[in-house]
Amino acid sequence: MTNEIHKYQAMFLLDNEEVRKGFNQAKDWVQTCLEKHNIDVKVLRLWGERALAYPIGGRKRATYLLGWLEASGDAVNEAKREMYLVGPAFRLVFLRTEEIPAEEMTFGIESLEDSAVEIPDEIEEEMAEMPAEEEKTDEEPAEKEADSSDEPEAVAAGEDNKEN
Amino acid sequence: MSSKNDRTFDFKNVEELQTFITPLGKIMPAKCTGLSGREQRRLKTAIKMARQLALLSYGVQ
Repeated sequence: MTNEIHKYQAMFLLDNEEVRKGFNQAKDWVQTCLEKHNIDVKVLRLWGERALAYPIGGRKRATYLLGWLEASGDAVNEAKREMYLVGPAFRLVFLRTEEIPAEEMTFGIESLEDSAVEIPDEIEEEMAEMPAEEEKTDEEPAEKEADSSDEPEAVAAGEDNKEN
Repeated sequence: MSSKNDRTFDFKNVEELQTFITPLGKIMPAKCTGLSGREQRRLKTAIKMARQLALLSYGVQ
C-alpha cells in the first residue's frame, strides 16, 4: 500500500432501521467515520431506497448512499474495517476512478429532511403479497382431496390383483 | 493502448447490465455480447460489483 492520494467512488448500503431514526444521522455517521481516517469526502448523497436483489441478514430493502472521495489506499482499508464492524452501513464498495464527474460535484454533501426519505415498511409489503399466496393455498386442498380420492381406488385395484 | 471508443459500464446502471445477463443469471460470453476483451472485462467487473451491492442477483430471480 502506498500513501498516494486517489479518487474513489463509494457506495454504502444503510440499514433502513437506522435510516428511519434519521437519514442525516446515518449519513453524518458515515461522513464522520470517513473523515476520521483522513478521507476527503467530496460528495455524499442519497442514491435511492430500493429492494435488494437478494436478502442480506434478513433485510429485504436498503438505502443506498453514494460518495465520491479522495483518499489513500490505507485510509480506505481502515475505514472499511471500521464500518463493517460498527455503524449503519452493512455493505460497502469502494471503486477507484480517474476523476469525479462535474455533475456529481454539484451535489456536495447532501442533507435531506427525514420526511424526504420514504421507506416502505417491509411487513406492509409482505401483507400486499399475501393475497397471491392465499389463492395458491386455496387450490392445494382441492388437489389433496383429488389425490386422496384416487388412493382408495389404487388400493382397491391392488387388493383385486392380490385376490386374482 | 486504450481507445476512446471503448465502452464503459457503470455498476449503478442496472438496466444496461441486465441486458448482458442470461435468464439463469450468468454473464453472457464475449461472442454473444460482441464486446472486445477489455470491454468484456469491464462488464464483468461492473456486474460483480452490482451483485455485491444486491443490485443484481447471483442466480435466477
